[in-house]
Formats: sequence, C-alpha cells, structure tokens
Amino acid sequence: MRFLLTLLAVTLPGAALAQSQVALTSDVLVERTTTDASGTARTSLEAPGIVTPGDKLVFVLSYRNNAAAPATDFVVTNPIPESVGYMGSDSAGAVLSVDGGRTWGQLAALSVRNADGTSRPATLADVTHVRWRMAQPIPAGGRGELRFRGVVK
Amino acid sequence: MREAKLMPACGFAKRTLRLRSRCVKAVLLAAGALHAAGPAHAARTPAGTVINNSATATYDLPGGGQSIVTSNMVSLTVDELLDVGVAWTDGGDVATTPGATNQALTFRVTNAGNGGEAFRLTARDNAGGDDFDPAATSIVLDANGNGIYDPGLDTVYVAGANEPVLTPEQSVTVFVLATIPAGAGDAQRGRIDLVAVAATGSGAPGTSFAGQGQGGGDAVVGATGADAEDDGYYRVAAGSVAFVKSATVLDPFGGTTNVPGAIITYRLVATVAGSRSLANLRVADAIPAGTTYRPGTLTLEGGALSDAADADAGEFTGAGIAVRLGTVAGGSARTITFQVAID
Repeated sequence: MRFLLTLLAVTLPGAALAQSQVALTSDVLVERTTTDASGTARTSLEAPGIVTPGDKLVFVLSYRNNAAAPATDFVVTNPIPESVGYMGSDSAGAVLSVDGGRTWGQLAALSVRNADGTSRPATLADVTHVRWRMAQPIPAGGRGELRFRGVVK
Repeated sequence: MREAKLMPACGFAKRTLRLRSRCVKAVLLAAGALHAAGPAHAARTPAGTVINNSATATYDLPGGGQSIVTSNMVSLTVDELLDVGVAWTDGGDVATTPGATNQALTFRVTNAGNGGEAFRLTARDNAGGDDFDPAATSIVLDANGNGIYDPGLDTVYVAGANEPVLTPEQSVTVFVLATIPAGAGDAQRGRIDLVAVAATGSGAPGTSFAGQGQGGGDAVVGATGADAEDDGYYRVAAGSVAFVKSATVLDPFGGTTNVPGAIITYRLVATVAGSRSLANLRVADAIPAGTTYRPGTLTLEGGALSDAADADAGEFTGAGIAVRLGTVAGGSARTITFQVAID
C-alpha cells in the first residue's frame, strides 16, 4: 500500500494543485480535565502528546474552498478509527453508518444485525462512519469546520 | 507522538476517470489497513496501538464530474495504562480454628490496564476492622490455575523474583496463607488485605513514566492508581461440648431416699457451644458401682433406644451406656436418660 501511495504522490503533485481546490485538514485534540487546589475542575483541549484508553478526543475537520467556483454537493466522510468509540457530533447535520458506510441515517433509525439473524437498535459503539452533507454549496473562498467526539477504547 | 502525513491529493490534480478510480482504491486500502491495525473487540485498546484518522470530502465540479479530497492523516499512539484490580473471591468468611496454620484466603488479581505488566504483591495482616490479627506467612500463586490452594503444587510468591506477569484483562488467583492466633475466640473475625501494585509504577492517576510503557511509549497510571487491594476475612468457628448430668431418685416408698431398691433416673444433657458443628459426638457413661442398669430404660431425646448394639444410636454395654449423637450443630443440645436400681 505504501508503494502505491508513493507512486500516486509522485504521479499527482497534489499539494501544489490543492491550492486551487478544496483543502481538507484533519486534526485531533484531547480533552483533559484538571482539578486545581481549590477543587475547581477545568477542561482544556490539548494537542495529544500521549493518549490512553478512556481519553476523550475531539476530531476537528477544517475545509476551505480554494477554487474560483463553488463546490456543490459537498460531503465530508470520516471513518471512525477502530480503537475509537464515536461519542457524538458537535456539528449539526451529521449522519451515521453502523455498517461500514453502506447505509446512513440518524442513530435511532439504524439497526445492527445479530449473528442469529435478528437485529437490535444501533448504539454509539456501533458507529463506523460519520458524514455531513452540506445543503448549500461552499462558495469560492468559503471555509468551515466540523467537529465530532470520540473516546479511546 | 503526533504525526501528520500528507496523503496524496487525489482527484483534483487530473480529473480523468482512470486516476480517480485509482485514488478511491488507495483510500479504501488505507481504511482497510486501519481496521487491521486495531483489535477486534478488545475492551481496552492495547498499548502501542496507533490510531490513524483521516477524512475524505467529495463535491461536484462545476464542469461535471466529482472530486475527492483526502485530508492529512493524524496518528496517535496509545500508551500503556497501568491499572490493577484485586478481589477477594472466597465468597464469605473462611472458617478456621484457633492456632491453625496455612489457612488460605483466595484473591484474584486482574491486569486492568492495556499492556503486559508485572504486579508486586503484599499481604497486610494488621489492618483494623477485625477482632484479631492473623499472621500472614506466605503468598502463593495458583500455578495450576484450578482456583484451589494445592500445597506443594502451587508456587510460593517471592517478591522481586516471580511477580505474576499478566496480559491485559488476564487474572491470576493468589492465596494468602496465615496462622490464626491461639487466643482467637469463637466467632471472631480476622482480616488480611492483599495489595497488588504495578511493577512499572503507581501513584496518582495520570502519573507518567516516560519510556516505560509497553512498546517503548510512556506508561501512565490509570484510575486505580495502579495500586489495588481487597480485604478477606477468617472467622473462628470453635465448638465445645458441655455435659450436665442430673439424677432423680425414687425410693420404693414413693420418697427420694437412696435405699436399696430405689430407682435413679440419670439425665445427661450434652450442649454444643460455639459456632461450629461437632461431628461424631459420642457419649458414654458408666453405671455407678452399687447400682444395676434397668434394661430398656435408655432414651435419646425422649425416644427409646434398644439395649443391644444394633442399628440405633445407643446401647447398654454391660458396664455403661453408649450413645452416638452424630453431628451436632453449634448451639443445640441432646438429652439422654437411663435408669439404674440401687443394689
């Protein structure tokens, strides 16, 4: 796979061309809560030096349309990493998949098939992908940010 | 720990269908690799696991067709979390007797962290909250994993020499052996705490040990402080039996004078004191000199017993009576009666 990616990178000098298109940046922050001497709890978002199971993560996806034309039917999809439990979206309009991206919907409308053929309502732990579909085109120069939360399993 | 990799910016370089399809394939391959890197259904992510996150965006191009953008990939390494659990598993106080040695309490030590870890064990026998202090003599590891203390088969724990090394979620059964003080009274409880501490380190949650985690990362103390304990209890179950013998005299004239021909009814009450049942309790009483056993007068709890040595619980032996009471529970009593005539 690494070979293939290297090949593509050589074939497509994308970084330079991305300036004239839509750029998408992924960032992950960890939510740390510290309690000071007076007992007041403070929560801060930090760039994670280290993470351990149970750490709360905030995924930040930033996009910017660098093209001269609007980007229509703009859809951002983030597969949830295997070791992360999806905990919810801070950005409106998120739809979820619990089957690897085949079907999408609100969590309450999704179900998971059991081994015995029955099915059960999906839970946050079942979420495999989160997606946002923008109703409005992203105008030239337009930018935005999408956030969702997870926890290190 | 954070690495940012610029993924090839597929799609918007050359918008030919052929190249796009190759890019999609590359993205899918990347997603497949992420799945392979993670555990299937482990409760906690193993130390050293790398979490990679990358998003894709698609949009329609003004001139028709679709473009796919893949974000950079953010990689986080999961460090080792040090956590441990200890549970006393006997299910209730372990019955013992004063002065008994090698009395075992059973505990389970579980690696609640996400990396392989050795645990140091300590038995604390002087904690409060009890009536006497058992003297802990050794800690034994359940080498054959059957959950039962097997003297000679299970391994005696030696601090610094054979700390149990547990994989995440793995448990080991640990026995604490102790001597019960001779002066411990009936129904008194004695407590021993088993303490397990992660060998890498312990302390306030969040304490970090740089470079000491599994896989070369850091080790971080988890919510348990990497130091856990549970208390187990012995309960002394001592039993003792007390006999009370009383006599009623009935003389031939209806009085109570000890004269020849007077009949003495003996009443023996055996009372078991304490919290422990006594097994195979037997009562024997000789016929006093100068008297003669009156055949057919032996009773137990009001019921007649034959004089012959047979299936019932008692007999006349020629010199005295003998009654087998079997197992008598602590706090209960048995009454035996028989009669003799004064010669």
